[in-house]
Amino acid sequence: MSEPVARWRKRLAVPATPKSWRQLVFDARNPLPVIRATVMIGLAVLALTTPGFLSRPSISSLLTTVSFIGCVAAGMTLITLSGNIMSFSLGAIVGATAMIFTASVNWGGLAFGFAAALAAGALLNAAQGFVIGWAGANPIVVSIAALSLVYGAIEAVGADGTIYAQAGVSYGLFKGEIAGIPFEFVMFLCVTAIGQLILFLTIFGRNLYMVGGSLRAAEAVGVRTWRTISGAYLWAGMFSALAGIMLAIRYDSASMDFGVGYEYEAIAAVLVGGTVVKGGEGSVVRTLAGALIIAIIQVVLLLKGLRQEWQYLLAGLLVLAVVVLQTRGAGE
Amino acid sequence: MAQHVISVDRVSKSYAGVQALRDVSFSLGAGEIRAICGENGAGKSTFVKLLVGITHPDSGVISIDGRVRTVSGPQHAQSLGLGFVAQELSLAPRLSIHDNIWLGSAEVPLIHRRARFRARAQQAMEMLGIGDWDLDRPVGTLSIGQRQLVEIARLLARQARVLILDEPTATLTDAEIERILGVLKLIKARGHSIIYISHRLGEVFDLCDSVTVFRNGEHVATKPVSEITRDGLIELMLGRPFGEMYPTVPLQREGSHAVVVDGLNVPGMVHDFSLVAPSGKVLCLAGLVGSGTNMVTRALAGLAHGATGRVTINGRSMRLGSVAYCVARNVLFLSEDRAVEGIFHRMTVLDNLVATGLAAHARLGILSWPRLHRFAARLAQQIGIDRRRLRAYAGNLSGGNQQKLLFGRALERTEPGVLLMNEPTRGVDVGARADIYQLMRELCRRGYTLIMTSSELEEVVGIADIVVTMYRGRTVARYEREAIDMTSIMADITHPPPATKAVA
Amino acid sequence: MRKFLRSDQHVRPLGLLAVCIIVLALADWGQGRFLSAATAFSTFEIFATIGPVALGLGLTMMIREFDLSVIGMFSMAGCIAVITGADSPWIGLALALAAGLAGGLAQGFIIVRLRLGSVGVTLGGLLVFTGIAAVLTENRSLPYDNMQLALALKTPLAGVLSIRSVVALAIFAITAFIMAATRVGRDVIAIGSDRRAAMIAGVDVDGLMIGIFAFSSVCAALSGVLVSYSLASASVTAVSVIIVPAAAAAILGGVSLSGGTGRPLGIGVGVLVLAVLSTGFNAIGAPPYVNDIAMGAILLTVAILDGPYLMRRLSGLRRRAVRH
Repeated sequence: MSEPVARWRKRLAVPATPKSWRQLVFDARNPLPVIRATVMIGLAVLALTTPGFLSRPSISSLLTTVSFIGCVAAGMTLITLSGNIMSFSLGAIVGATAMIFTASVNWGGLAFGFAAALAAGALLNAAQGFVIGWAGANPIVVSIAALSLVYGAIEAVGADGTIYAQAGVSYGLFKGEIAGIPFEFVMFLCVTAIGQLILFLTIFGRNLYMVGGSLRAAEAVGVRTWRTISGAYLWAGMFSALAGIMLAIRYDSASMDFGVGYEYEAIAAVLVGGTVVKGGEGSVVRTLAGALIIAIIQVVLLLKGLRQEWQYLLAGLLVLAVVVLQTRGAGE
Repeated sequence: MAQHVISVDRVSKSYAGVQALRDVSFSLGAGEIRAICGENGAGKSTFVKLLVGITHPDSGVISIDGRVRTVSGPQHAQSLGLGFVAQELSLAPRLSIHDNIWLGSAEVPLIHRRARFRARAQQAMEMLGIGDWDLDRPVGTLSIGQRQLVEIARLLARQARVLILDEPTATLTDAEIERILGVLKLIKARGHSIIYISHRLGEVFDLCDSVTVFRNGEHVATKPVSEITRDGLIELMLGRPFGEMYPTVPLQREGSHAVVVDGLNVPGMVHDFSLVAPSGKVLCLAGLVGSGTNMVTRALAGLAHGATGRVTINGRSMRLGSVAYCVARNVLFLSEDRAVEGIFHRMTVLDNLVATGLAAHARLGILSWPRLHRFAARLAQQIGIDRRRLRAYAGNLSGGNQQKLLFGRALERTEPGVLLMNEPTRGVDVGARADIYQLMRELCRRGYTLIMTSSELEEVVGIADIVVTMYRGRTVARYEREAIDMTSIMADITHPPPATKAVA
Repeated sequence: MRKFLRSDQHVRPLGLLAVCIIVLALADWGQGRFLSAATAFSTFEIFATIGPVALGLGLTMMIREFDLSVIGMFSMAGCIAVITGADSPWIGLALALAAGLAGGLAQGFIIVRLRLGSVGVTLGGLLVFTGIAAVLTENRSLPYDNMQLALALKTPLAGVLSIRSVVALAIFAITAFIMAATRVGRDVIAIGSDRRAAMIAGVDVDGLMIGIFAFSSVCAALSGVLVSYSLASASVTAVSVIIVPAAAAAILGGVSLSGGTGRPLGIGVGVLVLAVLSTGFNAIGAPPYVNDIAMGAILLTVAILDGPYLMRRLSGLRRRAVRH
């Protein structure tokens, strides 16, 4: 056996003479990429052979729907990477920022609307991140508390119905397509790109991986962990606000019904995409893949006649499968 | 020939690619006290965990009382008469002494009938001389040393025939040590067998009938205590004559007083500690677990909350309590527990190496990966790790290589700084240890100030230029160069002379 | 009994309960809306719904895990009972509880044997159970044709209780007894404080953990079935409606997420606090958002106070202020 091959085999922990194909696939150090590749190829085949999938309206609607949840999922990825598992309040923030956007646009114009909604999303989430990072409060509980507070606050302000965009408000190019692709999907791609840039090209991004990988080791190396965690939540809030803004633009209105249940689909996309639930490993691009996989499966099954109700079940089974396989692959 | 109580035949065990035990055979008779000695990482703890069913061997056979057994778990081991006191205590702080003694025991029925068990617990406590303690006290209110005694009481109450103790005296006061040794001798006289894992060679020679030495996962020798000397034992443990492990120290000018500590206090752990450490030397803080040595370095590194005191480094005064502040001033810390507080297991070797140097390789907050790659390659080369492994996950490296990564983070700083190391060769095999000592000497040559802690006396005597001994959070004495002597150091850290405050 | 009262585990929740009752009574200002049998009855009805769920969730929190799937099981069990209990409510109950047991055991098994984090697995469980409920109900409300049962379950006994709340109280009492008087209780506390140490001592950590997840699911199922029967319909419940009060109750009840603390009675009192707040606000005519904000605020405050770094940070700030 030649030297480079031997080294390659050792890196993958493949036995020198595999006794069977099964051993080759499953004893390899990380079976996950193999499985994922197989799944994606199989999925692509299935999708392309389903009548009605490749039609323009079908693809367009798929891309649009994926984008709303996708933006939230991108934000959720940062939270998961930081080792804080998930946030239950992102869906509420989507709804709240959608309402803030619509109200602000009515009051002071498009730019003001953007600024207000993004700021609100950032603040609402960064506050949670601060409490979690600085005091060490439990992330699940804090996000559950925030969920309740956001709903309560919106009701208290008297806005528990639907806010409509004023007549005469024009969203311009935000409400159409760019080169044939729905604007929402373009935004989602931008969000993914920004997320990747943050994760791989900034010190904050590297700190995030360290904090998620081992909080104590990150502290020992001098990372100001509470700042990193707050930052992750801040970006997650902004990405969720973007989803809220897009929803408000699409429907010319906003209510707290927007975003209900988004966090579950988002975390499903994050996990299916391959980001590890305990943090420290993963990326936003993987979440993009995860979101697309789930969306494609949903559309294909819909086209094949399966009713909408099966989607929750499907997402659950996918998440379970991924969670179980993930630890097998990590080899720790 | 009397039947052996425990007989182990060619047992092997590996974890995640690391061979912890290789073809180890072992036997123990009734009424025998056997010491197991070896360096950190030699396989002692793994071996003992196999005996009590916490892990299971990959191959080999374990026999108890002549019958081959597969010990399925701790409860099964207890029913076979094997009792284990781990190094990290296994008591539940919120439960009472009585509940802890009976926690997990198979004998206790669903609704505990307390009287019968209470009597047995009381009996065990009396055998240890602590019969006057209140059985209903929560264990959390006891000191570490006292908890150790409760653990042994647990074994006696459950009628263990073989007591396996892993570093039992590391945290005890002298009085408690005397009591334990006395009790163990009593227990032996009643026909129990004892396996005694310890670094404290003095106790080994005092208490035990025979010694088994492990090295690098293999059984090296088993000899009666009467047939071996202390130096001979050390040589068996290290695998090479004592002198060869440690690089020779070049004669060099004494550096300026780089680190000056005055009145350092960490509530409950370190009291009024003062220190002067010159650059270019290795200063070692020697002490038992709980003596405060690790806390001193942590405090200097910014990791001890509530630490107060005055620290100056190269004339500049330092603020305590912030690690980022220290790192920015080239005061770096190596934790004693690299798995939890040192290495990022699922990040690459590259990421681990550059963890403290990111700011220096970014422009306007954007990292430059080509520069980082070159930087990491240089660091890897200096610490003796193949450049091609930069992309490997750090979690897959051996203990020694992981430890070297931590050293790598200290290199190529803006100026030679201070390196604070807790137990720098814990869990590192002999070959890598020699490399690390070379690395430490190289850092000294470059002008770094090295302050380390160690609980392995051979290491302390071998590598340190200056030794400061500590006991219960206070300085005992300071030794330099020729004055460094193992017996004095051992005496200081176990029963120091009555307090005359020594200025270090 | 004396030892029970002395234990500080119960002081905080009981204190909170007292405070809430006093505050609300004052806010009521003697108008008799709050301190009435009707309010007490509503309180116990809420207790009957949230209580068992909080108890199961709380127990998983005590061993440093978190069972997200309880809400999904709550919905699914109700649907199963309504569908299969058309002829006999007992059959429906039995099948739903069996489903709860199976679901809990499966999750527990996966978590323990494969050494996975509970949040990921129970998240999958939550989605699967909710999904099954959605499929069974076709996203509508399933009617249940047994109005006598529904009425019977809601009829007040002794003015303030109902069959449902009696069942819930019984579950709490039994669990409290098991925790206090049997070795299971000791073992659970030990697992919660230091899992490794408990294992070395000989505790059957794996078996007990699987058992706790099973218990959690069964409790959620029981509650879901009784709620569906009493409403004479089953539907998919929104997650946030249950999980907020359940988690809040557990935490108020003294359960800390670092494990090892918390008692069933404490959790019970925590549920009562939330139920009192909810019905109290309703009774004195406060708009519904007050309840949301109050619960969120309480939950947030307790989460912050329980944060392990809080004391350290505060003393660090104090020292820095003194220096300046």
